[in-house]
Amino acid sequence: MISLHGTVAVGEFARRFSLDVDNEIVGVFGANGTGKTSLLRTIAGLCPLSEGELNVNGAIVDAPAEHTFVQPELRRIGMVFQDHSLFPFMTAVDNAAFPLQMLGMKRIAARKLAIEMMEQFGVANVGQQMATTLSGGQSQRVAIVRALIGSPKAVLLDEPLSAIDEESREGVRNHIREHLVRLGVSAIVVSHDRTELDHLCTRIENYTR
Amino acid sequence: MNSVSSRTPRFVRLGALLGVAFLALPIIGLLRRVAWSTLWAQLTDVATRDALRISLYASVCATVLALVLGLPLAWCLARMQFAGRRFVRALVLLPMVLPPVVGGVALLGAYGKTNGLLGGVLDSVFGIQLTYSLWGVIIAETFVALPFLVLALEGGLRSIDTKYEESAAVMGATDFTRFIRVTLPLLKPSLVAGLMLAWARALGEFGATITFAGNIQGRTQTAPLAVYTMLESNPEGAYALSFLLVAVSVGVLVGLRDRWIGGGSQ
Repeated sequence: MISLHGTVAVGEFARRFSLDVDNEIVGVFGANGTGKTSLLRTIAGLCPLSEGELNVNGAIVDAPAEHTFVQPELRRIGMVFQDHSLFPFMTAVDNAAFPLQMLGMKRIAARKLAIEMMEQFGVANVGQQMATTLSGGQSQRVAIVRALIGSPKAVLLDEPLSAIDEESREGVRNHIREHLVRLGVSAIVVSHDRTELDHLCTRIENYTR
Repeated sequence: MNSVSSRTPRFVRLGALLGVAFLALPIIGLLRRVAWSTLWAQLTDVATRDALRISLYASVCATVLALVLGLPLAWCLARMQFAGRRFVRALVLLPMVLPPVVGGVALLGAYGKTNGLLGGVLDSVFGIQLTYSLWGVIIAETFVALPFLVLALEGGLRSIDTKYEESAAVMGATDFTRFIRVTLPLLKPSLVAGLMLAWARALGEFGATITFAGNIQGRTQTAPLAVYTMLESNPEGAYALSFLLVAVSVGVLVGLRDRWIGGGSQ
C-alpha cells in the first residue's frame, strides 16, 4: 500500500499530492509538467516532501514534521525511470541482476535469475551486450526487468512502454501485469498515453496543471 | 571555396609554424646529443639506476597519496556547497602556479625539523624526519601533483549524470556501494587521466624536491635531480637520462591521446 498526502517542491513550484494505492495498479495520466515524474521520485525517496506524509506498506518513510526520512536504498522500491537509466558500463544482464546483488545474492546466481526473467521480456538474447548498444525498446525492457526482479514492496513505472513498438506492447504489458499480481504489491504507472493506462491499470488518476 | 571564417591567414600559419619549431627544436637538440652507442651503459650506471629507482618509487607513492587526499577533495568541490569553497579551490590550484622552489620553502616551513610548524613534533614525538629523506621527496612530489589530479577528478565528477547514482540508490545500493559500483566506473576516464598527469608531474618534479628533500644520491636524488647534477660531471649520462624522461612523457601523452590529442580531429 502507498499513501501519499503532502507537498513537494518541483522546480520553483510546490506540487501537492494526494494519492492512496491499495495493492492495485494505479495509472497517473497527465500532460508534461504536471508533476507525474515528481510523484514517483517522491515515493522512491529521490525528492523529499516539504510537508505531509508518505506511507509505504504501513511504514512512514517520509514525514518532515516528524523528521522521518527513510533513504531510497532502504525503501525496497522497484522503479522504471523515464530514460531507463541503465548503467552504460555494464552489460544488459548485469544491469538486470543489479538489484539482486544489492540484496546479497552472488553475481552468478543473480545473472541466472536475470536471464530467466529477461527471456520472458524477450531480451535474453541481448543479455551479453553492453547497455549502450541496446535499442530503445530493448533498453526499456531491461529496465522493466530490473524494476521487478528484486521482489520490491512497491513498483513505480514512468512511461514504461513508450519505447516499445506497437506490436510487442501487449505482450510486455501482460508480463508486467502478471509480475505485479504475483508480487501482490501496489504499483503506479505514469504516462501521457491514456489508452496505455486503460490497458494496464485498474484505476486512473487524472493530473492536470 | 572556403568560407571567410575557415580561411587561415598566411601570417597565422607562419606564427603556428614558428611555435611548432620552438617546441620541437629542444627535443631534436636533446636527441642529437644522446650517445646512442653507450645509452644502455649510461642508463644502467649506479647513480642513474639509483635515481630511476627513487623517482619511480617516490612518484608512484606520491600519486597514491595524491589520490587518497585528492578524491575526497574533488568530491567536495564538485558536489558540495559550503562556505569557503572558492578559497579551497584556490588553495588546491596554488601549487600549480607557485614556483616549485617556493613550494619547497613552504614545505620546509611546515615540516622542517627545526623551524617547521609540524616538523618538530613529527621528529620529537614520532621520530619522523621528512626533510632530506625519501618521505620528503614523496611529500614534495605530492604537493605539486595533487592539483592535477583534483582538477581532473572534479571535472569528471561534475560531468557524471547523477541519474545513475539515483537509480542505484532506488535499487538498494548504499553510499559506499554506489561509489564503488557506479560512480567509480563512470569516473574511470577522468581518474586514469588524472592519475597519469599527476604521476608525470611527480616524476618531473625538481624545484620543491631539491629545496625540501635535498639532492643526496641514493637517498633523495630523483631522475631530474640526477640530470641536473650529471650535466657537469657526466653530460652523456645526463642526455641519456633526459632521453628516457622524454620517452616516458611521450608515453603519458600517448596514454592521454583520446582525451587531449585526438580532440581536434573529431
